Amino acid sequence: MKNNPNRRDFLKGAGAIAAASALPLSTVELAFADPKKNFTFAYISDSHIQHIRGSQFVNNWDRGLIRAVAETNLMQPKPDFVVFGGDLAQLGTKEELDHGAEMLAKLDTKTYFVLGEHDYYLDLGEYWSTLFGDHWYSWDHKGVHFIVLNSILTFDEWTFDRWPTAEQRMLEMAGLDNPNGSPFMVGEAQRTWLAKDLEKVSKDTPVVVFSHSPIQKLYKGWNFWTDDAEQIQTLLAPFDDATVIYGHVHQIQYNQIGNISFHAVMATAWPWPYPGTYAQAEHTMPQLTVPMNRADPFFERDATGWQFIDMKSGRASMSYNLANNTNRTVAYDPATGKPVDTRFQDVGNRVPPQIHY
Amino acid sequence: MTSKHLWFSLAVAIALLAVIGVSIHADEFNDADVERWQGEYMSVVADGRALWGSPDLGTNGVACGQCHPNAANTHPETYPKFQQQLGRVIALREMINWCLMNPLEGETLTLDDPRMIALEAYIAYERRGVPLDPGKH
Amino acid sequence: MRKTLFALLFAVGLLGAIVVFGGDTAENALLGLPPVPIPEDNPQTPEKIALGEKLYEEVRFSTTGDVACLNCHDPEKAFTDSPLKVSEGIEKKTGTRNSPTVINSAYFSTQFWDGRSPDLEDQALHPFINPVEHGFVDHEPILAIVRTDPEYIAAFKEVFDKEGEQITMKEVTMAIASFERTVVSGNSPFDRYFYAGEVDALTEQQIRGFDLFVNQGRCVSCHVIEQTQALFTDNRFHNIGVGINSIQDDVPELATTFLKADLTLSEVDVEVLTDARTSELGRFAINKDMDDIGSFKTPTLRNIAVTAPYMHDGSIETLKDVVIHYNNGGVTDVGDEVNDFLSGGIRSLDLEEEQIDDIVAFMEALTSPEFVPSPPAED
Repeated sequence: MKNNPNRRDFLKGAGAIAAASALPLSTVELAFADPKKNFTFAYISDSHIQHIRGSQFVNNWDRGLIRAVAETNLMQPKPDFVVFGGDLAQLGTKEELDHGAEMLAKLDTKTYFVLGEHDYYLDLGEYWSTLFGDHWYSWDHKGVHFIVLNSILTFDEWTFDRWPTAEQRMLEMAGLDNPNGSPFMVGEAQRTWLAKDLEKVSKDTPVVVFSHSPIQKLYKGWNFWTDDAEQIQTLLAPFDDATVIYGHVHQIQYNQIGNISFHAVMATAWPWPYPGTYAQAEHTMPQLTVPMNRADPFFERDATGWQFIDMKSGRASMSYNLANNTNRTVAYDPATGKPVDTRFQDVGNRVPPQIHY
Repeated sequence: MTSKHLWFSLAVAIALLAVIGVSIHADEFNDADVERWQGEYMSVVADGRALWGSPDLGTNGVACGQCHPNAANTHPETYPKFQQQLGRVIALREMINWCLMNPLEGETLTLDDPRMIALEAYIAYERRGVPLDPGKH
Repeated sequence: MRKTLFALLFAVGLLGAIVVFGGDTAENALLGLPPVPIPEDNPQTPEKIALGEKLYEEVRFSTTGDVACLNCHDPEKAFTDSPLKVSEGIEKKTGTRNSPTVINSAYFSTQFWDGRSPDLEDQALHPFINPVEHGFVDHEPILAIVRTDPEYIAAFKEVFDKEGEQITMKEVTMAIASFERTVVSGNSPFDRYFYAGEVDALTEQQIRGFDLFVNQGRCVSCHVIEQTQALFTDNRFHNIGVGINSIQDDVPELATTFLKADLTLSEVDVEVLTDARTSELGRFAINKDMDDIGSFKTPTLRNIAVTAPYMHDGSIETLKDVVIHYNNGGVTDVGDEVNDFLSGGIRSLDLEEEQIDDIVAFMEALTSPEFVPSPPAED
């Protein structure tokens, strides 16, 4: 399949992006204003390695992470770095974190790590730190300022006082629909740190935030929620190009709020339903989002995947590598100022698995 | 019938009435009955909810709620329907069994197992209000 | 809208009635199958089918004059070359792939193990010009024959109303495809049991095997059985851990090299049959999608008992070994490493040996009556 330059090209390099989503391994020529500023990184998230007993782990989730790592290593050209988006483990145990770390160690590229609630609530990230380092930090790469936040914290009372044991606390947070759960937040300490960190960044520098929770308020019942979302968004508002990439939701989502583009990443483990499929709930889901394909649960990798992200002129183009499905690309369209799916955004282009929910 | 028999029968009848409650006619039920029966039902829904989060239904610790929070995406209103994973038209509880066998790597339940009824009760309860759409994929 | 709905219900009901009660179902060769898909631009006629059969048997369509379609797809061997693992072309040259049966191939939405041909017409073009099959470098020798042989001249005139230069490979392959579309058969003991209600058509063991096929064996999602018909294939591509396991470490190098070569479809055809390592990439060689590394098309299980050996490379000899491979979760020997790109549908099944035998017995019930081997003659 050749790189077809005649494809509908409504944003810079769209033809190349579309070709890239079909040919993630080919050496794609990307035509950009300043090629030096454009690069790719891979994003693997939500592996939920789950320990059964002894040396037995849930095979299904293991295979998801194994596949994502193997495919990431096949990428040509190689990504500049890889991000792991959180929820490496299911119940935060040492066995799970070690087993997951072992699989991730096969990545032959530098990897950055983001905490998820399933990693955190057993020991408040203590073992995680010995494996992967700080819970929040920032760095610069080819003119882009990257930030990792630990956005799955919650109220102190819930974290420190409510539960008799750490195991209990982890179990309570582990149930997505558990009414005993507590809303995610970034919290004051990190907001203070973030404000200071951003002071040094010029307004025309693209800023990308990696977070586990959405930095939006989507659906509280399943903690698709960040309680101090508006405050974080306010901190990002002054920048020309801001992007938030988040995990936790195990589904394709994308949105635009003001100057900030929001992109969810797929899980390697299993897909979650869209909040709209829960008949008893009110929720706010981004209107823009074209849903991922509804899964066939026989194929354990259906509706799971990983993604590579092209930074093009400061904005993100998400290429979702989906097992058993046509790959999807969601890219920022400068003309309309929001992310669009390069193939399915138009309602007339939808396919049955996207509407048969 | 002797008068002794008559008194005995009357006593039994009154005792029965006391047990049955205020309604004398078999075809009547009242608000108290309905409320009580609703409670009976919700107790089984609660059982189903407990099973929904249980790591012990299968053999690998995976719970239904991990993939189906609040029983979302179970589509009870579409059954019976053709289920591609089983190659024929089935009822909801057969798909529950498919899930027990496959992602949960466990044993199936008999179709009248109280746990099966409880799971179905919970699934239907979380989907209350959605119109029937039988056969929808 | 209501009228249409009732018409639809009536039609479905009628169809069901026909399937169950129509005529003498034992004679219904297509029992369990839907109608054969016939493309609009290549309708069936008796003369075209007869021409197609003649072309199918034409040994002059090879450099050595002794290889025709029927060498590898032999009607006497359920349209395969069983028991060969991989086929032998001119001068007994071998390729890398096991010969798939022509029986019911009309129901596939793509042809070849990696689906590189969209239909039977296109498929027929490729073996002629493959160096290990018929050996030609182009189709000219074939055209020379059909344009000059008196029998072919008459036949092409009658069927297509074409002669001389007008006869192209399009006509040749249309005729061959027409013939192949008559090689269809259902009406196996399974079909009689499941679609015609003949409760005695399957043995107790086969009935147990059927239950396992749908449930614990996890077969039915790919080897599709449906309420009113069964193709036993989903027409999709899956990596089930055959062959790929042996080249696991080579996959990154192979995949990258293959992509950079950017071959045309005909070059791919040559490459996959002549290079064993490339052959293991499966459908990835065709669409370059990481999702398809090491994946091959689900074959139909109809007549599977008579089309040994099994898998794209013929590497598994018996049906029991096949079920054991699946039972092991996508490795042939327990303890082998599972490949990174294994389909999400494959995993260990925890079947007992009796259950494995039951599934094998069920598969033996999928042979159509005309392909049941006759018992050896007694001396």
